[in-house]
Amino acid sequence: MSQPFLSIKNLTIDYIGDETDFRAVDNVSFDVAPGEVFGLAGESGCGKSTLAFAISRLHRPPALIRKGSEILLDGRDVLDLDPKALAAFRWREVAMVFQSAMNSLNPVLRIEAQFYDVLKAHLGLTKAQARERTAEMLKLVDINPDRMGDYPHQFSGGMRQRIVIAICLALGPKLVVMDEPTTALDVVVQREILQRINELRRKLGFSVLFITHDLGLMVQFCDRIGIMLGGKLVEQNTAEAIYKTPQHDYTKKLWASFPSLHGGVLA
Amino acid sequence: MKTLLKNRKALVGLAIIATIAILAIAAPWLTEYNPATRTGRPHQAPSMDHILGTTRIGQDVFARVLYGARTSLMVGFGAGLLITVVGTVLGIVSGYRGGKTDEVISFFTNMVLVVPNLPLLLVLAAFIGQASPVVIALILGATSWAWGARVTRAETLSVKQKDFVKSAEMMGEKQWRIMAFEIFPNVISIVGINFIGSVIFAIITQATLEFLGLGDPRAISWGNMLFAAQKASALSVGAWWEILTPCFALAFLGIGMSLLNFAVDEIANPRLRTGNRLGRWSLLVRNGEGRL
Amino acid sequence: MAFLLRRLGFYLAAFLAAATINFFLPRLMPGDPIQLMFSSAGAELPPESLESLKLTFGFVDGPLWKQYLTYIGSIFTGDLGRSIKYFPLPVTSVLGHALIWTLVLMGTATIISFVLGTWLGVMAAWKRGSRFDVIVSVTSIFATSVPAVVTSLIVLFVFGFTLDWFPNGYAADPSLDPAFTLQYISSVAYHGVLPMLTLCTVLIGGFTVTMRNNMINLLGEDYIVMARAKGLSDRRVMLWYAARNALLPTVSSLAIAIGTILGGSLVTEVVFNYPGLGNVLYQAILARDYPVIQGQLLIMTATMLVANFIVDVSYVLLDPRLKAA
Repeated sequence: MSQPFLSIKNLTIDYIGDETDFRAVDNVSFDVAPGEVFGLAGESGCGKSTLAFAISRLHRPPALIRKGSEILLDGRDVLDLDPKALAAFRWREVAMVFQSAMNSLNPVLRIEAQFYDVLKAHLGLTKAQARERTAEMLKLVDINPDRMGDYPHQFSGGMRQRIVIAICLALGPKLVVMDEPTTALDVVVQREILQRINELRRKLGFSVLFITHDLGLMVQFCDRIGIMLGGKLVEQNTAEAIYKTPQHDYTKKLWASFPSLHGGVLA
Repeated sequence: MKTLLKNRKALVGLAIIATIAILAIAAPWLTEYNPATRTGRPHQAPSMDHILGTTRIGQDVFARVLYGARTSLMVGFGAGLLITVVGTVLGIVSGYRGGKTDEVISFFTNMVLVVPNLPLLLVLAAFIGQASPVVIALILGATSWAWGARVTRAETLSVKQKDFVKSAEMMGEKQWRIMAFEIFPNVISIVGINFIGSVIFAIITQATLEFLGLGDPRAISWGNMLFAAQKASALSVGAWWEILTPCFALAFLGIGMSLLNFAVDEIANPRLRTGNRLGRWSLLVRNGEGRL
Repeated sequence: MAFLLRRLGFYLAAFLAAATINFFLPRLMPGDPIQLMFSSAGAELPPESLESLKLTFGFVDGPLWKQYLTYIGSIFTGDLGRSIKYFPLPVTSVLGHALIWTLVLMGTATIISFVLGTWLGVMAAWKRGSRFDVIVSVTSIFATSVPAVVTSLIVLFVFGFTLDWFPNGYAADPSLDPAFTLQYISSVAYHGVLPMLTLCTVLIGGFTVTMRNNMINLLGEDYIVMARAKGLSDRRVMLWYAARNALLPTVSSLAIAIGTILGGSLVTEVVFNYPGLGNVLYQAILARDYPVIQGQLLIMTATMLVANFIVDVSYVLLDPRLKAA
């Protein structure tokens, strides 16, 4: 394996409670290589979203990343960044697609404005330059650039998802974290979007951290997969190995719940 | 109820209300004076004889504020209950029945919401003449239910979709039974918030109406104390005790009720709760146990 | 547009409802309604004036619906009758003059406390759990829970009487002639400080709490998290993503609060002897001047409806989802 781009070491995250704490992520370590698609699977509540949030340091109290945790990106520990460096790091290096992309766009701002603020903050583009870049990005996801003046509610769910992806790629990030990016969409749109992401990834060369509870979908899409259970990473291997020779009991159980997929539809 | 007792705001609020209630009940033992009659010289400053001084016509202010608490509490809780009952019934019926019933009730609710409450009450009270505390409670109940009806209706609409309501309907349960035994218990937190809010509103409004001279001046209440003091220009003549005593009594009761209100709000909406964990979190961060 | 038209229709219905209450109330009371309404002045009123008053309030020969139409007709031609206390002044001119003072007082206080309260709420929610949040929240609770009567009396006692910093009554120095002179305007401002301070104290807490709660409910939304992930400055996220969106429900709660603001303003005016509607009304109540008491309900309702309509319009402007509809 080549030099890892993202390297998570001993990551432990607690939610502080009134009396006792809840350990959401428990001593998790894994690497993601440049251009690789790494999948994190597990049922809801297993800590995979908590982990994803930590990479861009999006947590708010009462979440707490315990000492000893490291999130290395290109060799730099994200957890050591000061606020200014953190602001510059976010989106430029790691962009995110959230669980319900439908709600990821601010309902009262035009699409254009939601591109502009990120382009201005990071690249200092003027409004005209930003508009040009926005048009370019929207074309990339097959949205008519003429519609950049519209509001989110004027687009369908699948279109909104593609807009979010376009915003995601606007700065050319090295890693895109996708937290259940397609759960709110129907199956056809889901597949379309994943194919689109894959094409763009080949073209632009970013890595993907793909998070879902849908192991079947994941095997088709990922190079390597980690399985999470109760905050722990219980198994990680290539997608093929996870599919053909699962080691951990829990992985086997997960597979048992997908009987219909055993036709072998690996892309 | 248990969560209520764990909440610090709720505890302080309940303690304040309980204190006022106990003082009101124990009034005859706490003061020897009759609150309605002249017991001393006019406008005497606080002294050993009259702890909080006397009014312009020589009534004992301490006795009046103690007995007045009875009126404020009774009108507050009585009218609050009335407002809540009317609002809850209308809200559940219009939310559950839907259709024409809902249209009619909602139309009236919205209408009452845009007619300003105090001016309306002023007109009603003015025609009724000198409104006794009971009459004030009744007109409050008749005119102030709209907000409660609106929020209860909204909550009913969401409860109505739940499976247990559907299954009760399938089993041929009567409509009033569904509303009383399936819907009502599930909108109880809204009803609670409505009740506390209505009590606060009733206490404030009764005091305001009486202060404006629409109450029955013979009734012993905090609002009438303010009215009498204002008419006697108590502040200008330096008889601050006559005006500040009912002021502080009202403020104290208002604060107690509001603390309870906010506590219930926090319990009904967990996102608003702060609790202990943020304190623990800051401590851990300060000790270098972790970060964000 | 259709939305606003529908609202307008509704407001018209609400105004009619207030008028209907005015019409039926004296007729529902025991005794002779004409006697009841005009008795406090009956002896002094010249007979032809009494006749015209009776006509205005719909006391004409004929069935009830005819009386009702007569009354509604006089309202919509702007005739609210004459004040009995200040006879022969028409109710509209007694109230109209006072309304200006009330609107100035109420409008300024509402704007100040809405802006300040909303800002405090935004900051408190953003710094959730901090000392700032605790102080702001607790102070707001106290400020909202004290009745306006009490707040105004205490403010009057402390700043008017004990410290003697500000005048205790009137809207301006009575020796000055009302004019657009610096002297007169500064006198108005000086006299307005205490009523304004009272009203702001009464109002600000409610705005703060509403905004804080709306913000807190919003902070977990995906678009807020995404805005932070985008590396936008805290300021940008707080103002353009969180506060901008939390403002929508706050604005609609403003519509409901207008009734309370009106009430608070009435009481404050009575305490500070301010020449607004509140004070006129107080005098009218003491004199049982029913035409004025009834007229204020209509004028207050109209004020409330106009304010509601302004809120509706700004809601449409703030929320693009409504503009399309």
